[in-house]
Amino acid sequence: MSNAHALPVSDTAAEDARRFQANLELLAEMSRDFAVSRDLDAALLKAVDHITCSVDAEGGALFLLDDAQENLECVACVGATEITGLVIAADKGIVGRVVQNDLGEIVRDVSKDPNFFGGVDEKTGYTTKSILCAPLTVKDERIGAIELINKRGGDGLFDPDDLHFLAALASSAALAILNARQAEALVEQERIKRELELAREIQSSLLPQAGSDGAAIAGVNQPAREVSGDFFDHFPLDDGRVCFCLGDVSGKGMNAALLMAKTASLYRCLGKAVLSPGRLLALVNREICETAARGMFVTMVGGIFDPRTGVVKLANAGHEPPLLLTPEGEFQAFEADGPPLGIIADPPTKDGYPETEIKLNGGSLWIFTDGVTEGYIDGEGTELGDAGVKRILMETGGKPLMERLETVVGVIKPGEYGMRDDVTLLGVVDDVAARPAAEVQAASAAAGSETVMFLRLPARADRLKVIRQAVRSALEYLVCEDEMTEEVILAVDEACQNVVRHAYGGRDDGEIAVELRRDGDDFLVDIQDFAAPVDLEAVKSRDLDDIRPGGLGVHLIREIMDDVQFVTPPAGVGNLLQLRKRLKTKAGAS
Amino acid sequence: MKHEVKEAGASVVVAFEGDIDLQTSPAAREALLEAVGMGKPVVVDLAAVSYIDSSGVASLVEALQTAKKGGQDLTLAAVSEGAMRVLKLARLDAVFTIHDRVDDAV
Repeated sequence: MSNAHALPVSDTAAEDARRFQANLELLAEMSRDFAVSRDLDAALLKAVDHITCSVDAEGGALFLLDDAQENLECVACVGATEITGLVIAADKGIVGRVVQNDLGEIVRDVSKDPNFFGGVDEKTGYTTKSILCAPLTVKDERIGAIELINKRGGDGLFDPDDLHFLAALASSAALAILNARQAEALVEQERIKRELELAREIQSSLLPQAGSDGAAIAGVNQPAREVSGDFFDHFPLDDGRVCFCLGDVSGKGMNAALLMAKTASLYRCLGKAVLSPGRLLALVNREICETAARGMFVTMVGGIFDPRTGVVKLANAGHEPPLLLTPEGEFQAFEADGPPLGIIADPPTKDGYPETEIKLNGGSLWIFTDGVTEGYIDGEGTELGDAGVKRILMETGGKPLMERLETVVGVIKPGEYGMRDDVTLLGVVDDVAARPAAEVQAASAAAGSETVMFLRLPARADRLKVIRQAVRSALEYLVCEDEMTEEVILAVDEACQNVVRHAYGGRDDGEIAVELRRDGDDFLVDIQDFAAPVDLEAVKSRDLDDIRPGGLGVHLIREIMDDVQFVTPPAGVGNLLQLRKRLKTKAGAS
Repeated sequence: MKHEVKEAGASVVVAFEGDIDLQTSPAAREALLEAVGMGKPVVVDLAAVSYIDSSGVASLVEALQTAKKGGQDLTLAAVSEGAMRVLKLARLDAVFTIHDRVDDAV
């Protein structure tokens, strides 16, 4: 063995070397324990055991400071007495003094130390003679201390070498504890991050899908963090109009996101039934006031757009003014005329938030959060500003809506610490050329026509006589010529009996609505049911060679009226048959 | 709608009065088929019919077809202005034999 020929070394040097070696091994082992253990307490107990054995003490305990640094708790204990779970004030006892002074100590005779806490000995009957204690510290961060009790053998007293050795082990243990804690925190952070990602997914599912290129309403939302306090929405109403909104919840982060989810859900749910943005905002406001956390509020614009007329009805609860861009290239801002939602439960007026009617006339309307105007467009803190938004909207005129929205959002650069704020923008474009042709016709016909009579009654055979009499009265009122009167009565009766016989499939609780109108020189009859839409193929005119009863009614209607067509009902439900015939008045009538 | 069935000479005369529409045409149809079932020539008196719709006309057509199958005659008589208008619109005025007066038909 090569050691046999080594130079003789002093006892102390040999002891140092042995301890150094032991120290290294112990450190390596402790590091492994901490690395593989998911249970910090179990790893600590193992460490205390190792250290106690290495120093050859009768007992050992490890104390950790709580988060508030007010108390020390014994989290691991071996040997002499079991004190795991013991909590003492962070400045009490010898261990407290060591932590406060951040300095290891040998107390050779505890009975002479004023700080010695004899409570444990009294309870256990064990006699503590000597204590060796070293702080657990990493840089300036105090974590706790390790305390060893009664050296085995000899005089039972610790010596400075023991302290030296314990101090070295303690600082290693401190580092290991800190690492383990950080690893734990990292796992927690990962978990929170995953939850935030999930929250973001759920939140973005609350936003409407991006529309097609020809969409009249679309929006974009770019959250500054995982989740956003901004939102927008748009959804079709039964009457062919489109309800939309854009809002900004005060604050950021999870609580803003939750209030956003609530507000957006309320708006969408109520928006399908309450066809007035002003009343809608008032309802949402009341709900938020009743339940939202104090100090949080929502600025919001709600509106309804009619793509057939290009008219927007708007209500603004404390939000940035929406911008109207006219086809002539002029901008007009619509200031808020009500407070943000969630502040005062009572609405500004008895009808809710005031409404503004805006005729787009082929122009467009833009609603955005302050994240757009206050977004940085370079690395020097230059904000996009109102002027910047307007400039981009002008420059992108004629482009598809989504492209215009993305251009605006695209110029906003994330700063050094990410996006400054959530960026949300919604556009409503009135494309006159793209207005649905049939709808425009129907709308204009409706607009220019005068209702003579409107009936809504059960779709039953015994009510057909009532309808015939009503049609007769209406035609008399219009001084319609006799022959035409009789024919039109037949045509309307035939159309109505088709509803009675077929529309509700034998149910007798259905309803039929008949509207008689005069449109200039024409007489118009709208016959609407509220049943499932019919297969138009099945309602074709009768083949004249075939005199089966079924098709005869339709044949009569077509024979009598100038124009017969199914149109989309304004409310989007049921079937609407529109009959039209040039009005023949009695000779001499004006 | 009301109806009356009587025998006149060798024929059965079914006379209707009032509106024949979706509500009443099932009764009209039943009366017509019953009359045809008597096996004699049938004359349908439409003088007092104020209104007839496609379901009423369909009943007449069905009765005619049934009669023809049995080799019987079914004719219309004294057709009111309103009923004639509908028959013409349905282009069925040529399908039926139509007499001006009931007496001419029996």
